[in-house]
Amino acid sequence: MSSSSKRQSIAPSSGPKPPVNFSSSLTIPKDASLTGHHSITILAETVIHPRARIDSAQGSVLIGRRCVIQERAQLGAAPGDRTSLSSTGGITLGDYVIVEAGATIEPGGTEVSEGTFVQVGSTIGRGAKVGKNCTITPKSVVRPGEVLPDNTVVFSNGQRRTDRRRVIDVRKVALLKQINVTRKMIRSDPDKFR
Amino acid sequence: MSRRQAKGDYIETDSGNKVSRKAMLQGTQNIMLGGKAVIQPEVMIRGDLVRTAPSSSSSGGPANSTAVAIGRYCFLARGALLRPPGRIYKGTFTYMPLRMGDHVFVGQSTVVQAATVGNYVHIGRDCTIGEFAIIKDCVRILDGTIVPPHMVIPSFSIVAGQPARLIGELPEGGSLEDFELRDLYKSVGNNPQPPPP
Repeated sequence: MSSSSKRQSIAPSSGPKPPVNFSSSLTIPKDASLTGHHSITILAETVIHPRARIDSAQGSVLIGRRCVIQERAQLGAAPGDRTSLSSTGGITLGDYVIVEAGATIEPGGTEVSEGTFVQVGSTIGRGAKVGKNCTITPKSVVRPGEVLPDNTVVFSNGQRRTDRRRVIDVRKVALLKQINVTRKMIRSDPDKFR
Repeated sequence: MSRRQAKGDYIETDSGNKVSRKAMLQGTQNIMLGGKAVIQPEVMIRGDLVRTAPSSSSSGGPANSTAVAIGRYCFLARGALLRPPGRIYKGTFTYMPLRMGDHVFVGQSTVVQAATVGNYVHIGRDCTIGEFAIIKDCVRILDGTIVPPHMVIPSFSIVAGQPARLIGELPEGGSLEDFELRDLYKSVGNNPQPPPP
C-alpha cells in the first residue's frame, strides 16, 4: 500500500518546533501540542494533560512549578489567529496555577500569578495581569489588559468579589496531592518535544 | 491506484455504539458504553483518570476500574468532554467514576464532570457541569448553563444560568418521548437514515 493512503494523524499539524526547557520532573504526554518559535519553559512537577496546546509564536511561555494544564487548554494564540502578530509578548504562569479544560490564555505579556485557578472554558485576555490566588469561574472572561488584584473571584460572567476564605494553604496541599496521583496516569514523553 | 475500500466515519460496535474515528478516547479500557451510544467527532472522554482510592468495602469484589460509564442511546455531540471528577477522599486525592444513564444528550462543546447523570437528561451546548454534580432523571439543562460543583438537580427540572438556577419544571406525567434519542441514533453513523416524518 502506498504511503499516500496511510491514515493521517489526527493530532494537530505541528508548526515550527519551539525551543523547550523542561524540568526532569515534568509530566507531558505526547499528544500535547507545543508550537511557536520562542522558548517554552516548564518548571518542576507540572502536569500537562493530553491535547493541551501551548503556542509561543508571539512570545516565550513560562509555566511555573506544580501547575496543572488540562486538556484543550490553549496557552498562546489559537491556531489560525495570526491577526495580531505585531503585538508580541509571552505568557507567564506562576507556581500552583491550574488551567482547566478548554480555558484560553491569550499571549501578549499576560501574567497569571501563583495559586490562581482558571476554570473550565474561561478566557484570560491579552496582556491581562491576574493576581495571586484568584479564581476565574467557568466561562468567565478577563478582558485584555485588565489587572486583577490578589484573591479576586470572577463569577457570573463579570461580577467580582474578594476571596476571604483563607484556604490558600489547603488548596496548595490538595493540588499537590492531585498532581502526585495524576502524573502516574499520564504517560509522559518529554523527549518528543526536544 | 486502487483505493482501499472507503471506511465509514464511524466505528460501529456489536452492541450498536457508533464511535467517530475522530473522537479522542483516552484509557478506553476504563470506558463502558451501554450500547447504541453515539460519539461524534472531537468528543473527548478521559477514561485514563481512574479511581485510585479503594471503593467502599461493601462490594468486596474485584477492583472496578471503570472511569466513565454511559448508558444506552446516549448522544455525545461534537466537542463534548466527559471527565471524571476528582477530590480528596480519606486524605488522598482520587478521581471518582462518572456515571450516565440512558437517553442522555450532551450538547456541543459541553464539559461534564458530574458524579451522576440520570436517565432522559438533555444537556445543551456550551454548558459546564461542575465536579460531583448529581443530575436526576428527566432534567433539561439549557444552552450555556454553568452547573456549579456539587449541585443536585432534582427530577423534572429545567435549569439555566450562570450559575445554574431552577427556572421551571417539566410537566408531571409529560411524555418521555421528547427525550427519546432513538431517532437521533438512527440519523447518524455510516448508513444514516432520515428521521421519520
